[in-house]
Amino acid sequence: MTGLKQLQEKFQRGILAGDDKILSEIKDSAKEERKTLFGVYRYAYVARLAEILADDYEGLHGYVGDARFAKLAKAYIAAYPSDRRSVRDFGRHVPKFLSESDLFPGHPELAEIASLEKALADAFDGPDAEPLGLTVLGEVPPEAWPRLVFTPHPTVLRLAFSTNADAIWSAVREEMAPPKATVLPERQIVLVWRQDVTARFRPLGPEEAMMWDEAVQGTRFGVLCEMVATFAGEDGAELRAASYLKNWIEMGMLAGYRVE
Amino acid sequence: MGTEKPPFLGFGLGLRPQHYSEILSGSPNVDWFEVISENYMVAGGQPLRMLDQICERYPTVMHGVSLSIASTSPLDLEYLARLKVLAARVKPAWISDHLCWTGVHGVNLHDLLPVPYTKEALDHVVDRVSQVQDILGRRLTLENVSSYVSFGQSEMTEWEFVSEVANRADCWLLFDVNNVYVSSFNHGFSSDDFLNGVPRDRVVQFHVAGHSHEESHIVDTHDHPVCPEVWDLYRAAVAHFGPVSTMIERDDNIPPLAELVEELDHARGIAREVLGAPRLEAAE
Repeated sequence: MTGLKQLQEKFQRGILAGDDKILSEIKDSAKEERKTLFGVYRYAYVARLAEILADDYEGLHGYVGDARFAKLAKAYIAAYPSDRRSVRDFGRHVPKFLSESDLFPGHPELAEIASLEKALADAFDGPDAEPLGLTVLGEVPPEAWPRLVFTPHPTVLRLAFSTNADAIWSAVREEMAPPKATVLPERQIVLVWRQDVTARFRPLGPEEAMMWDEAVQGTRFGVLCEMVATFAGEDGAELRAASYLKNWIEMGMLAGYRVE
Repeated sequence: MGTEKPPFLGFGLGLRPQHYSEILSGSPNVDWFEVISENYMVAGGQPLRMLDQICERYPTVMHGVSLSIASTSPLDLEYLARLKVLAARVKPAWISDHLCWTGVHGVNLHDLLPVPYTKEALDHVVDRVSQVQDILGRRLTLENVSSYVSFGQSEMTEWEFVSEVANRADCWLLFDVNNVYVSSFNHGFSSDDFLNGVPRDRVVQFHVAGHSHEESHIVDTHDHPVCPEVWDLYRAAVAHFGPVSTMIERDDNIPPLAELVEELDHARGIAREVLGAPRLEAAE
């Protein structure tokens, strides 16, 4: 008699690799042949995972259409068998898979659309933290402001896009015709985070992106203002820096501060 | 270890995100909720916030889909640790999963795969249930699954296997009425034999659900309303087991909450007819 371990290995190979050796362990039913009955598991495996991918990458699915998404799902399911307990994690390699595979040559926007959707999903159920409020910051004495250091909300993720993937995704989600995919002359920084219970994203201009990158590395606010002045001119630099900071706070992108 | 039989909770539903706001803003006629454990093993955000609010208002039980109790791969201790953390948050009346395996060698096939009903498998599962119960510090509840294939090497019936697991590992049973119906059709056994074959005092929960009929076999899809045959078996189960916490389980093609509450009312009606209102109320 085949031991339990070997039986389970055969069964799994039967699902993953289409190996029919398991059929010798299975009985026909009174109404159906064993191959058809085992086929229920084979079919369900692929169908279930394809459905999970379609749910997790709804925007990408809308953009490429059913046929191309089915092609992606089939190839991904074959390349990345699920190795996590929760189906939530199954599709986590899709952005990497798309950027490395030659499934859709000449379409770098696809991996980036996928990475935006994955980041939104990660932000949606990422760690909780009380966002920093303007009133709390208002209690900091003016002379301490140059020494302020900020902590980003733990759900913030930074993406750097080479295409207009974010604009395409937004259009698809709003059921509008997406703009033509274009490769950008410079990388577009997009931040993704959760405000209250809603996952959000925002493309940043070059100056704001520079300030954000410095801020999350622990650069003091006084130095951030100087860097903004260097980046695009001294005129109104402090005001620009303060305005970026105010936006971040109002949008819940920061979780705390300290005075160094 | 929690060895006292869990209470009769009445008539419940599986908690689905589509219904969060309706549940919290209204007062649906639902006595308790079952939450899918894996869906709440996340860091934060809306899922856990909703979960906390539901748990404040309703008795809750936890239902897992990936414990893989019958797998020959080692128990996933990290998963069990997360399950325990979630249980500390939810304070469930019980924790259930399925009498099945979901993969080996680190792969999760995300399906409830059948076990051969052999002495070897029985010893293996009993040992694993005991380990899990030791880790969780409480009794586990195991559900019979729907299956589409049967193994030539099986040495006993499914209900004998289920009963032996429950008695030897000292765990509770979730009697899935639909799964008994589906498997009895697929394998040609009598659902009454199953019903009469499992130990009455071990059953703490019923699942009632819909399925897809493919003529030569039935697939357990949980995407349809409960069919008359499953309601008949539910009626027989209530008569046999007495008042058991009952839940309508819908996982796909999820209708508005009111539609599920209507199905739940149907279950209530059957239980009242079979047991009589005084017995049902006394159990509540």
